[in-house]
Amino acid sequence: MNTTHIIGIFDSKLDLLAGIEGAKSKNFKIEEIYTPYPVMEAIDALERKSRFTTVAFIFGAAAVVGVLSFLYWTSVIDWPINYGGKPTNAFPSFIIITLVLTILTVTLGSLFTFSLRAQIYPGKKYFLPDERATDDKFVILFDKKTAGGGYEAIAAAMKASGASEVYEKEF
Amino acid sequence: MYKADVRGQLILGNKDYRQITSDIIAPIDNKAPGWWKVALAVSVSLASLGIFSLYYTVRYGIGTWNVNNSVGWGWEIINFVWWIGIGHAGTAFSIFLLILRQKWRTSINRAAEAMTVFAVMCAAIFPAIHMGRVWLAFYIFPYPNTRGSLWVNFNSPLFWDFIAISAYLLISASFWYFGMVPDFASIRDRAKTKLKKAIYGALAFGWTGSTKEWLRYEGLSYVLGGIAAVLVVSVHSIVSTDFATSVIPGWHTTLFPPYFVVGAIFSGFAMVMTLMIVIRKYYHLEDYVTDSHLNAIAKILVFISLIMGTAYFTEVFMAWYSGNEYEMFTFFKNRITGEYKFMFWAMIICNAVIPQIMWSKKIRSNITALFIISLIINVGMWYERFNIVVTSLANDYLPSSWTTYSPSWVEISLFLGTIGIFSTGVLFFFRFIPMIAISEVKSVLKPTEIMEKH
Repeated sequence: MNTTHIIGIFDSKLDLLAGIEGAKSKNFKIEEIYTPYPVMEAIDALERKSRFTTVAFIFGAAAVVGVLSFLYWTSVIDWPINYGGKPTNAFPSFIIITLVLTILTVTLGSLFTFSLRAQIYPGKKYFLPDERATDDKFVILFDKKTAGGGYEAIAAAMKASGASEVYEKEF
Repeated sequence: MYKADVRGQLILGNKDYRQITSDIIAPIDNKAPGWWKVALAVSVSLASLGIFSLYYTVRYGIGTWNVNNSVGWGWEIINFVWWIGIGHAGTAFSIFLLILRQKWRTSINRAAEAMTVFAVMCAAIFPAIHMGRVWLAFYIFPYPNTRGSLWVNFNSPLFWDFIAISAYLLISASFWYFGMVPDFASIRDRAKTKLKKAIYGALAFGWTGSTKEWLRYEGLSYVLGGIAAVLVVSVHSIVSTDFATSVIPGWHTTLFPPYFVVGAIFSGFAMVMTLMIVIRKYYHLEDYVTDSHLNAIAKILVFISLIMGTAYFTEVFMAWYSGNEYEMFTFFKNRITGEYKFMFWAMIICNAVIPQIMWSKKIRSNITALFIISLIINVGMWYERFNIVVTSLANDYLPSSWTTYSPSWVEISLFLGTIGIFSTGVLFFFRFIPMIAISEVKSVLKPTEIMEKH
């Protein structure tokens, strides 16, 4: 079922920040903000949090344990080789390969996590309220039902904050 | 907090966001210029020559090269190290400057990363064909096998090298690609033809620029940036251990890892400079790649050149100070005054002497001079690798095994081929991918500049 949305278009980051402030002061619930480049204030305004770095650390820790265990198993248990009497568990020479494989694991894991959490993957059907958001406009999206105000009230607040356009659209 | 505009405006011409998108995607929207077609024809011809020599090497074996029992590593390893070195700067550029929050990187990082990906692809060809039977290359993967479950040697720098380069290629390519996703979305949303919208739409992976996406995108950038910074340092350190763990005079030195890493970044930055000058000149992007950007790269090159000079001097000093006659012979008789003296002095002059003229502000603001110096540095870095690889092997401990080495036509063609593959890749990059990171450049446009326009 389609939902009616109210869309506020802003020309600059400063106008957008004023728009966010305007919506907040009137207790209108913002559904999403679309920007041509990352705007930290917008992310904070929607109270979005990410545990990306924690997840990356977990991938790294798992990789260190996994790689060292694998090297121990191959070199000491499965097929020990005598390199001029050196110990088969040659830990110092395992460090470099562990480091590189840890980096590889963290990278692949992070890419996978990003794709999953941000929903960015090949062939994704996307929803973009105004195509200019990837070019030069900053877009605030309200869901008409849950925004906490009618079109007139939200449009007036957005216009007062410096929105260049406000319109209603059904998606 | 302390803040000073030491670099002045990063983007000239009083642009607005829309103008930035238009300027940067203009080469994709417009028809390919004549010079591009000519350059592509030359590059493809060179690449074809390279592919033919690859076929020739695989068909007849590496006996077609002039490497021998003494000089077992010839042009192939020189070129491998040279390309890996060039490939280093792209990621080094993006990542170190990202972590240090240097905003001037935004105009340059995309091209530097593209260069990395193509250079590392070229580099990877050489060790693969150097195996002789390239179709058995998969033996190097550690997998359960029927050869008595024999594992690869995890203690060997050659194996570390294989893993490090594969990881580096994968990470550089992903860092580059995910950096481009928001820009592909910009092209998708401005596309006028259905075909273009479909192609760039597929490449954009459904990007919309919502806060949910940007939050994770920033997280990904910093995680990949932080972790790849370690990789940049480790990859070339590992390449250096291919040499340093041996007992060949001139190779077994603890100086090698930092010397190789710095040398790699030096050659890569020089190649970044070459590319940026071409991009700015032929695509009229002077407002984005300003004199100030080139000035900043030139200053870094002068600094690294000083480190290179110190490293060369340290090597020679340590040979003398150690009192080891083989080291003394390698450096003083073989390299400085011997039959390879041209290569030695070419290395010193190109890498440690000529870049010093960039201390002059006049030279740093002369684009032609910068272009020539950047090419000279890359020639010098090739000679450096020749010095390391060939001179030590040609005259080692036993005079009875001394020999001379010059490349065969197959080896020369392989090298020219990789230059062709690299330049073909770079030309396709010019044509079909935004050469400058659109969303990142927009983020460094000061809000006041936009306000003034309204």
